[in-house]
Amino acid sequence: MTKRIVVDPITRIEGHLRIEAEIENGIIKDAFSSGTMVRGIETIVRDRDPRDVWAFVGRICGVCTSTHSLCSVRAVEDAIDTVVPPNAEMVRNIMANVLFMHDHVVHFYHLHAFDWVDVVSALKADPAAASVAAAKLSDWPKSSTGYFKAIQDRVGKFVDSGQLGIFANGYWGHPAYKLTPEQNLIAVAHYLEALEWQKEIVKVHAVFGGKNPHPNYVVGGMPCSINLEEPNAINAERLAFVKKKLIEAKTFIDQVYVPDLLMIADVYKDDWAKIGGGVSNYLAFGDFPIGNYGETETYKMPRGIILDRDLSKVHPVDANSPEEIKEYIYHSWYKYSKGNSEGLHPFEGETELNYTGPKPPYDFLDINDKYSWIKTPRWKEQPMEVGPLARMLVAYAAGKQPQKDLIDSVLKELNLPADALFSTLGRTAARGLESKLCADWALEFFDRLMDNLQGDSRMFEPEKWKETQWPDKCQGVGLTEAPRGALAHFAVIEKSRIKNYQMVVPTTWNASPRDEKGVLSAYESALIGTPVHDANIPLEILRTIHSFDPCLACAVHLYDESGKYVHALDTF
Amino acid sequence: METLILGVGNLLLRDEGVGIHVIQALEKETLPSHVHLMDGGTGGFHLISWLEKYDRIIMIDATLDANTPGTIRMIKPQYASDFPPLMSAHEIGLKDMVEVMQLTAGKLPEILLIVISVVDISSVGMKLSPQVEAVIPQVVELVKNTVC
Repeated sequence: MTKRIVVDPITRIEGHLRIEAEIENGIIKDAFSSGTMVRGIETIVRDRDPRDVWAFVGRICGVCTSTHSLCSVRAVEDAIDTVVPPNAEMVRNIMANVLFMHDHVVHFYHLHAFDWVDVVSALKADPAAASVAAAKLSDWPKSSTGYFKAIQDRVGKFVDSGQLGIFANGYWGHPAYKLTPEQNLIAVAHYLEALEWQKEIVKVHAVFGGKNPHPNYVVGGMPCSINLEEPNAINAERLAFVKKKLIEAKTFIDQVYVPDLLMIADVYKDDWAKIGGGVSNYLAFGDFPIGNYGETETYKMPRGIILDRDLSKVHPVDANSPEEIKEYIYHSWYKYSKGNSEGLHPFEGETELNYTGPKPPYDFLDINDKYSWIKTPRWKEQPMEVGPLARMLVAYAAGKQPQKDLIDSVLKELNLPADALFSTLGRTAARGLESKLCADWALEFFDRLMDNLQGDSRMFEPEKWKETQWPDKCQGVGLTEAPRGALAHFAVIEKSRIKNYQMVVPTTWNASPRDEKGVLSAYESALIGTPVHDANIPLEILRTIHSFDPCLACAVHLYDESGKYVHALDTF
Repeated sequence: METLILGVGNLLLRDEGVGIHVIQALEKETLPSHVHLMDGGTGGFHLISWLEKYDRIIMIDATLDANTPGTIRMIKPQYASDFPPLMSAHEIGLKDMVEVMQLTAGKLPEILLIVISVVDISSVGMKLSPQVEAVIPQVVELVKNTVC
């Protein structure tokens, strides 16, 4: 018997995400991913000054707030043909690495961890045993018996108050939770420490971007002036503060995040390193240049594509080519002037809304017709997964040393074959390992910035700032990596105004509906074959979907086949 | 008493951004020196470090409730669950922030919440609905009367 269940919303910030899954004999047979909130930000920036667009698109999302602004200034810089000074490139790199560290840590502890960690079980732990276990994991100093006892008391008091808040309605006690009470207590303690940690690291964005959230960018550079002696500029004192925050971030990632990740991976690897792989192609635009943005060979994260999980070859990707990246709308609520089957390159992209779905509130989407606000992007007709796993795999295949060494050593430590990377656990692990690299890179970029400041204080390239320097018609593409995957902005400029603006965001690649041929995209594909212990509490679906980092999740409401509300879950 | 006026919302989703519109209106007013304004954007977690610095926080946000659009209510939430329902696309960020502060700091600043009942948070655009725009001066007065 087939049972259809609905998980909605899984996330709320970058569009509402809904999953409908068909379960037969305890196994997911088919799955449908739907973005149920319309984007269409493109319409807001049309006819605006291209130099202002970063400020609008940065407001799309409060999670990866700076990444859209960065991508936007790059698209405009590409169009008007300007190259930013080395200092600005380093500041952009530092800010992007800070975003990655913040986003990955918050995702792991505050969105994803409770898919693996049982808070209620932590209350039963023996603090002395937790202390011994924690000391074996790493040198992190907060590991005494008294410390774990105090954490247990604090959480216990919070839970007893009846105001469960962030811990309300979890799937606590679900048999798929496998950690010991002591391991659960360690993870809960670090959940709380990560909350404290995350508010410090974001201060780096306020130093360089003037504010946070939504820090400032500028076309042609960065809007911050560094002068080591000047009290009103970013001076030696502010830079020392930044370095201190970067070192604190690295310490936490090395001593807390990565050891916790390995602890969890070791317990769950027998099941979760085998399922959840999904599509077998991976796309990364790459980022973090040592040189300038155009010198892709200097990227810390290389650009490229892997097909059919063949790690012996990296295929090049050209976002400008009309034959490579195209967006389809066969199952999406849009209308194209060339019809339902045609794919459009984003420079030719159209955003005409065409809702044909059921009138809300509804039980189920019409999955044979259009069922999502997300378009279906394809690279040469192929579906792609984007995100930390894609980036690490492209780097691995490209022979990038830090990525390859790190992956090999972790596979060895966990005694897993390379195939284990193509899984839910592989995705979650890739994110943690990437954070470790970002912590190192942020410090390297900081040192490079300091070196370069000796004799070069330029932060902005003024030559092409004035629109009189621009061609009458031009277009540009901006590429970057958001924490959750490859991001591209496409700007068409005419008479100094935005004529067309399209964004292909990571969630579009991963969460899109199937294409006309019925080929599934990443989320849908990753769920197929996953066993579900109890369809009323489908923890397994959350594990795999959350492994993609679908922005902040929040209240998840479940409906059974007749549309009756059966359960709600706060996970955020 | 150091006081923060915190507007939150997404400026790109019409009425969802009403909290930010109020901050922009307050920027034109003369306020006592202990009163600080903050455009919190959509930034849930990012805001925690700023919030801990103040004795009193007045949050301004949109709510989609059964009240007539433009209805202004001032709430003093004791727990996160006292927050009104369906508080827009960034609901979780704000509620969670309060819970997190409760759990980690052990104490909370005094929190007042001003919510404005809105009409349209699902279409993309930067203009407020007329019923919502019309009450901005009243919200500004309410804030001024509360802090001055």
